[in-house]
Amino acid sequence: MDLNEENKNGKPIIDIEHIAKIYQMGSEFVHAIRDITLKIYKNDYLAIMGPSGSGKSTLMNIIGCLDTPTKGKYLFKDMDVSEMTDNDLASIRNKEIGFVFQTFNLLARSSSLKNVELPLIYAGVGKSERDDRAMKAMENVGLADRVNHKPNELSGGQRQRVAIARALVTEPSIILADEPTGNLDSKTGLEIMNLFNELWKAGNTIIVVTHEEEVARFAKRIIKLRDGLIENDSFNHHQRITNDTSTTSSVTNQ
Amino acid sequence: MNIGESITQAFDSVRMNKLRTFLTLLSISIGVFAIIGAGSLVDSINSSVFSEMEALGRNSFFIYRVPVLEMGHSWRKYAKRKPITYTVLKELKKELTLVDFVTAHGFSMANTIEYGENETDPDVNLMGVDENFFAAQNVGITKGRPFTAEDIDFNRNFAVIGNDIVVKLFPNIDPIGKRIKIKNHSYTVIGVLETKGAVLGEPQDNRVIIPLTEFLRYYASMWEYDLFITIKAVDYESLDDAIDEAIGTMRSVRNLKPWQENDFEVETNESLTEQFASFTGFLSYFGAFSGLIALIAAGVGIMNIMLVSVKERTREIGIRKAVGAKRRWILYQFIIEAITLCQIGGFIGIVMGLVASAFFGSLMNINLILPYSWVIFSIVICTLLGIIFGAYPAWKAAKLDPIDALRYE
Ligand SMILES: Nc1ncnc2c1ncn2[C@@H]1O[C@H](COP(=O)(O)OP(=O)(O)OP(=O)(O)O)[C@@H](O)[C@H]1O
Ligand SMILES: [Mg+2]
Repeated sequence: MDLNEENKNGKPIIDIEHIAKIYQMGSEFVHAIRDITLKIYKNDYLAIMGPSGSGKSTLMNIIGCLDTPTKGKYLFKDMDVSEMTDNDLASIRNKEIGFVFQTFNLLARSSSLKNVELPLIYAGVGKSERDDRAMKAMENVGLADRVNHKPNELSGGQRQRVAIARALVTEPSIILADEPTGNLDSKTGLEIMNLFNELWKAGNTIIVVTHEEEVARFAKRIIKLRDGLIENDSFNHHQRITNDTSTTSSVTNQ
Repeated sequence: MNIGESITQAFDSVRMNKLRTFLTLLSISIGVFAIIGAGSLVDSINSSVFSEMEALGRNSFFIYRVPVLEMGHSWRKYAKRKPITYTVLKELKKELTLVDFVTAHGFSMANTIEYGENETDPDVNLMGVDENFFAAQNVGITKGRPFTAEDIDFNRNFAVIGNDIVVKLFPNIDPIGKRIKIKNHSYTVIGVLETKGAVLGEPQDNRVIIPLTEFLRYYASMWEYDLFITIKAVDYESLDDAIDEAIGTMRSVRNLKPWQENDFEVETNESLTEQFASFTGFLSYFGAFSGLIALIAAGVGIMNIMLVSVKERTREIGIRKAVGAKRRWILYQFIIEAITLCQIGGFIGIVMGLVASAFFGSLMNINLILPYSWVIFSIVICTLLGIIFGAYPAWKAAKLDPIDALRYE
């Protein structure tokens, strides 16, 4: 069953064809990704699953333009990413992609508002607009009262919310989350997944890498990787959609 | 670009690596201190000396035994030269026609002056002068009179005293006509000098002036006293002729054969000023040079700190890159940080340098000239230092691979 046929609202945001990523370790070659073809459309909600070492993070990094494939073709909104320079990739990451990491990756010395502002700084947005937009993003993740807190003054779940606010603030085409609940307890993890659910309902395109069925259940589409290949790519008939808005007051597609 | 953030980061760096940063900033401070201190002191000395020299006018010239600022190898040659004696001075006064005056004086430090039961500290300068001294050096008399040619010729036991002596020995008495004693020789006070303060660190009021002939007889008899003769030509146009005339007279007085070279030095006010300027110029360049050496050492320290900082902040660099920082932003960030570090050190050095030169300036009683050009030079140098030594660590940071950087523990 090919889901790419089923989902036809226009052109794909991400169009990957037969990519491979091969690392050389001394004389050995590690095929982190062997041959993957994948299209992702606007407002997709994708979960990438698979055993450890199957290439999930590698694929995510390539999709997120943090890395480039060794082989194959990657079109991001019709732009050929495999041909891009470092600077071009940086500017795609800045404008089009929002990252959420397992370990949050916030700047330890900066307040949460400053952390959320960071992508806007590199986008060249002026100070006052930056403040407004960062503030709005903080509101969207329900942390308007925590803007002056440093990461070490926040709980894990709150840190991840700040990271999500940072991912949202530039209004990216796609949000990539690599094990976003991996460092959280299951209750907090669930809150984060609810937040993603709200974001998705508000029109965002989301890819989540996860080990956990519980987390993958929120996605519209689930991809299973094994040894750098797609083992299974299917529509999630049991997608969990919450109406619970207690954690997020007003999530909108900014 | 967020300059403020980079500057804050630099201060953070200072806080987090206290000792290492302290040592590096210290060497920057020392370097800048050397530059500013030497520069400001030399500028101040120069301006004092030049205003002195200017007062003499540009048609003055000088005759003396050995070069003033000679630091070279030929001191042996100079050591053998005959001293310039009072006889030479008399001869010049008699023979020279193109001059306003010929004058010379002798000088001895650390004398005690007595009057009745009272005596001064043993720190009074004693000068032996001729009748032209007062006019030539612009020394005024507030009470009584200066020496006349006769006072000198008949080596009369007269003295003209400075205000400090008046204060110490004649608190409520008119000193004129009183007899003071210097090393068991008695002198009648005939005049009081105008108060002058101090010039180049020499207090001008704590002195006693007696006729040159007296001075040479009693105070310079152990050795033949070398005179430093000042001559003023009638005008600037006759300066060269007056110098030729003086050289001719000197040679005949000292019995030089035509093939022998002069055994004395002649310099004009201008050439002496130039020599002095080149000497102090050398001093300030020496200061600047040693400062630069210290700064280069500091630069290596800055590079080291920045390299450690880049390493410690690898993950941060990864985060910045992940959210879209281009290479050049990372590069700028770290270079600005390095410049900030250098400027912190430089600022401390500038302050230290100014304080030290103000201190020495007040010791030497010269007005401190704020060495703007050296301050600007230091700021520029610190900026360059930051750029040069920050460049490599910044470049290392900028070219980090975002994934590797994010994975870094
Ligand atoms: N920089 C690298 N150099 C060499 N090999 C690498 C590198 N990055 C990843 N690999 C290898 O590529 C394979 C896929 O790694 P990847 O991180 O994508 O796995 P993953 O599916 O995310 O695993 P996990 O669930 O443990 O996070 C692994 O075998 C890994 O060892
Ligand atoms: Mg992974």
